[in-house]
Amino acid sequence: MPEPGKIKVLYIDDELNNLIGFKASFRLDYKIFTANNTSEALQHLSKNPDIRVIFCDQRMPDKTGVQFFKEIKGTYQNPIRILLTGYTDIEAVIEAINLSNIFRYVKKPWIDADIISAIEEANRFYMANSMIVVKTEELQKAYDELDKFAYSVTHNVRGPLLSVLGAIDVAQYVDGVAELKGMLKMMEESVKNLDNYIQNIHDYHNLKRGQLHIEGIDFNEIVKEQEDIFRLEANLKDISFEVNVSQRESFRSDKTSLRIIINNLLSNAFKYQDKNKKDKFVELDIQVATGMANINVKDNGIGIHEDNVGDVFNMFFRATSDEVGAGFGLYNVKDALIKLNGDIKVETDLGIGSVFKVYIPNK
Amino acid sequence: MTAQKRKFIVIDDNKLDCFIAEKIILNTGLSENVSVYTDARETLEFIRNDTGLDHDLKIIILVDIQMPLMNGFEFVEAFEQLPPETKNNYIIFMLTSSINQSDLNRISNYSSVRQLLNKPLSIVKLSTMMETL
Repeated sequence: MPEPGKIKVLYIDDELNNLIGFKASFRLDYKIFTANNTSEALQHLSKNPDIRVIFCDQRMPDKTGVQFFKEIKGTYQNPIRILLTGYTDIEAVIEAINLSNIFRYVKKPWIDADIISAIEEANRFYMANSMIVVKTEELQKAYDELDKFAYSVTHNVRGPLLSVLGAIDVAQYVDGVAELKGMLKMMEESVKNLDNYIQNIHDYHNLKRGQLHIEGIDFNEIVKEQEDIFRLEANLKDISFEVNVSQRESFRSDKTSLRIIINNLLSNAFKYQDKNKKDKFVELDIQVATGMANINVKDNGIGIHEDNVGDVFNMFFRATSDEVGAGFGLYNVKDALIKLNGDIKVETDLGIGSVFKVYIPNK
Repeated sequence: MTAQKRKFIVIDDNKLDCFIAEKIILNTGLSENVSVYTDARETLEFIRNDTGLDHDLKIIILVDIQMPLMNGFEFVEAFEQLPPETKNNYIIFMLTSSINQSDLNRISNYSSVRQLLNKPLSIVKLSTMMETL
């Protein structure tokens, strides 16, 4: 997006008096660069790539304005070009429009109102073009994600359903109650995965399209909710779960995003435990001080292989087949942190465990 | 002479799908020997190091496409790099939760893959599949 501030305008003319007059008339409202010849003009352009409007005289000793505009068509595509000429040279005008991407044509000697209206309209055109570039990039990104989404939905939504259907089919040939119960357990897992995936899509949508609601945050309250969710799992799987919150100052942020971040990090810490370890633990530590919230989630689980650490925040990436997941959780965490201007770092050792360190500034 | 029993290898990161495939294979009576892997890389290691092969009947591999770490396509690509005397002992069938055209096109490039099948596996599907051998 273009920076706010005075619109930068470049004027090229071989007549020094014109340059001086132009600058004097318009320097209060615009940032004016003047050039006596085209090589000087190129220097201005390379130093100020954000020049938005270029006025160029048609009749100059070294080359014509049309030639100059034609030359810079490839290298400086963004500035809007306006040709100035004292001659009613219709051929030059036709050439200018057809070959050199000229936006407007102003007759010399100019009147100030013509120049100002030319600059203002050129600027509107420039802004609209910049907007199109930004929007096109966003759109391309949205398309790419949609493609990934469509592919993943078939797997992550249809997959669990087909597993359950397959199991129902197989159940006809199974006699033992114990085996049937084992199958029910696995079917339950499939259904839970599906539910979890849908929950993740919900979070994803909230983060992408939802507005931030900045409000005063009581971390003790958020943590209490999360603790209630995970305490049961901790007891069930014999995992020590330690929670420590220290908030000495008020903190403003978006509650939904914070919930998504803490929930996903805890969910991973509990999920990717090492079943062979005796002293399994998960630690949640939150320190709020000097306008910054530091959230650490530590575990002594399976850890992440160093080859995969760089990919864990990518959509649908999964670093293990030991546990089921959609590769969505950490992507949402990262997305939430981008919205909150925060950051996340991972320290991990395969087989030893992981620490996720989150930094969120006060809003 | 009694009919020889085939060996099967099932590769799927979803444990329930592995269980279903194993049950169905055993139920058809086609095999008494099913190996199950949730990580395709381990299967590849096994195949690479397996020297005591019974050359009379080829081993059937059922591999899921969507898996973490090494997906079904990556597995097949690595498999096709193995020496011919190893490769020739296996026939690969791929499984997916949804067949799409680009996957079908991709499969046609792999000489070791016989067919792409929709999940879930069933006795009828497996029997039909075996008749094509």
